[in-house]
Amino acid sequence: MHQHSRLRLTIIYFFAAVLLIGTVGPFLWLVSSSFQYERQLLNRPPQWLPNPIVLNSYREIFEGAVLGEESGVPYQSRIFLGSFGNSFAIAGSVAVIAVVVGSLAAYPLARLNFRGRNVLLFGILASRLIPALSLAIPIVLVAKQIGMSDRLITLVFINLSFVLPYVIWLLQSYFKTIPMELEDAGRIDGCSRLQVVIRIILPLARPGLTSAAILAFLVAWGEFLFALLLSETPASYTSTVVVSLFATDVDVSFVSIITAGVVSVIPPIVFALIFQRYIISGLLSGSLKG
Amino acid sequence: MQSEHAATRKEMSQGALALIFSAPAVLIIAATILVPFGIAVFLSLHNWNLKRPGRERFIGLENYTDWLTDSDFWQPLQTTFTFAIGAVLVIVIISLLVALLLNEKFPGRGILRALLLVPWAIPSVVNALLWKWLLNPQYGLFNAIWYDLGIITEYQNVLGSMPSVMIWLVIAYSWIHIPLATLLLLSGLQTIPGDIYESAIVDGAGLFQRFLYITLPMLRSMLSIVIIFEMIFALKVFDIIFVLTAGGPADATNVLGWTIYTETFRKLDFGAGSSIAMLLGAITLGMAILFYVFLDRGVEQ
Repeated sequence: MHQHSRLRLTIIYFFAAVLLIGTVGPFLWLVSSSFQYERQLLNRPPQWLPNPIVLNSYREIFEGAVLGEESGVPYQSRIFLGSFGNSFAIAGSVAVIAVVVGSLAAYPLARLNFRGRNVLLFGILASRLIPALSLAIPIVLVAKQIGMSDRLITLVFINLSFVLPYVIWLLQSYFKTIPMELEDAGRIDGCSRLQVVIRIILPLARPGLTSAAILAFLVAWGEFLFALLLSETPASYTSTVVVSLFATDVDVSFVSIITAGVVSVIPPIVFALIFQRYIISGLLSGSLKG
Repeated sequence: MQSEHAATRKEMSQGALALIFSAPAVLIIAATILVPFGIAVFLSLHNWNLKRPGRERFIGLENYTDWLTDSDFWQPLQTTFTFAIGAVLVIVIISLLVALLLNEKFPGRGILRALLLVPWAIPSVVNALLWKWLLNPQYGLFNAIWYDLGIITEYQNVLGSMPSVMIWLVIAYSWIHIPLATLLLLSGLQTIPGDIYESAIVDGAGLFQRFLYITLPMLRSMLSIVIIFEMIFALKVFDIIFVLTAGGPADATNVLGWTIYTETFRKLDFGAGSSIAMLLGAITLGMAILFYVFLDRGVEQ
C-alpha cells in the first residue's frame, strides 16, 4: 500500500510540475526578460535568470512620464505611466459603482416577489449575448457626435454595462444565502427596505461584494476594444491600448515592450492572488447556485 | 377580503421597490447596450459610409444579401470556425486533464489551483504581447528551445505561415481561457460522490473505465456549460488577432471579428460593418442554442 501511494504521488507531482511550468512559465519568462539587456536576450542557451538585474526599461517608463520628450525614451514609454493611471481610475470606478448599483438591483431579484422578476433577470443576463463588436459601431458613432469620445467617463459606463449583468447575477445568488429571519427581525424593528439592505444584507454579504468588485476591476482593467476605439489622444489611453501600440510597433526595443507588458499586469495578478479565495468562489457561484 | 387587499397592496409596493432599486442598473444597461443595439440594427439596413457623407439611405436587407453572396464573408466565417473549434477542443481537453489532476488530493494542490489565476488575470492584449515575444523569429524562447533540442535547424517565423499561425493562435488564446474552464470542471468533479468510485473499484473497473462510465456522464452538464461559453467567446475573438497577426499572413487569420473591425473602422463603412456584426451575433446565438439543445438532450438521455 505504501509503495502504491508513493508511486501515485510521483506520478501526480510529475504532472503537477508540467502544469506549474505551463501555468506560470510563460509569464515568468516575460518578467525575466524585462530585467535583461537587449543583447542578452539573444543568448543561447537562453539566459533564464537576469544577470545583472537591469532596470533601464523600468527607469525609462518613469523618466519618460516625468521628463516627457526631453527624456529621449520612445513615445510609448513616455505615455505608459499616464495610461496606467487611467486604467486604475476606470477599473476602480467600475468596481465601486458596479457593486453599489449591482447590489441595489440584486436585492429585489433575490428577495422581493414581484411580477416580471424573471423577465428582468433574464433581460439583464441576455444583454451579454450581443457581441461587443456590433455595439462598438453605434457607440463610437454616438459618442463622437455628443462629444463623449476620448473621455474616461464614457469607458467607465461601457465597462459597467459589461460587468453589471455578471455582478447582479453573482450578488443575487449570494443574497439568497443570507437567512431571511435576520431581515425579518430588522423589518420588525422598523427598518425600511433600504436600511435593511444597508445595515443587514450588505455587511453579511461582504465576501460576495468583494468577489464582485474584484471581478469587475479585472474585467475593466483588461478591456481593449472600446478603449482602443474611443480614445483619440494619449490623455485618455488605457494601459491595454498603450501595450497594443507597443506590441504592433517594430521600432521599439523588445525590453521596453516587455516591461510595459509586465507592469500592466501587476495590478490584476496581485489582486487575483491576494483575493484568490473570493475570486474562485465568485467565479463558481454563478454556475453552481444557478 | 381584507387580507387579499393587503396582499395586493404589498405586491404593488414590492413591484415599485423593485423598479426603484433596479432602475440605475437597468438604465446603464439600456443606454450602453439596448439603445446601441437598436442603432446597430438601423445602420445595418442603411447605406452608411463615413467616407461618402450625405449619401445615407435606407436599403433594406441589401447589406445582408451583399455579404451572404460575397466570399469576403464566407472565407472569414470558415476561418472563424476553424479557430473556434480548435480553441474549444484545446481548452476543453486540457482543462479536463488539469481538473482531474487537481481533483486528486496531494500537498500543494491549493497553491497550484491559486496559480491558475495568473494566466486568467492577464488581459488578452498583454497575453498577445507575451506570445508574440515567446514566438519571436529572432529572439523567441521557443525558437531557442526547439533549436537546442535539434527539432529545427534554423529559426522559424511560426506566425508567418499557415498552418502554424493558426495552431499558435489557438494555443495562445487558449492559455488564458483554460484556467476558468478548469475551475468550472473541477467544481463539477467535486460534486461526484466518492463512494460511486469505490463501488466501481470493488466491481473491478479500471481507471479508464471509471473515467468513461462515471466521470464523463456525471460531468456532462458542466462540460456542456463550458463548451457553450467557450464557443461563444471564441467566435467573437478580436483582441489577440489585433496584436498578434492583424488578420495575416495574407488573410490566414482574418476572422469575422477582424473583418468587422477593418470594414467599419478602416474603410469607415458603418452600414456594411453593422450588418456583418449582426450576422456574427446571429451565428453566435444560433450556435449557443444548437449546442444547448444538443447537449441538453444528451444529458436527459
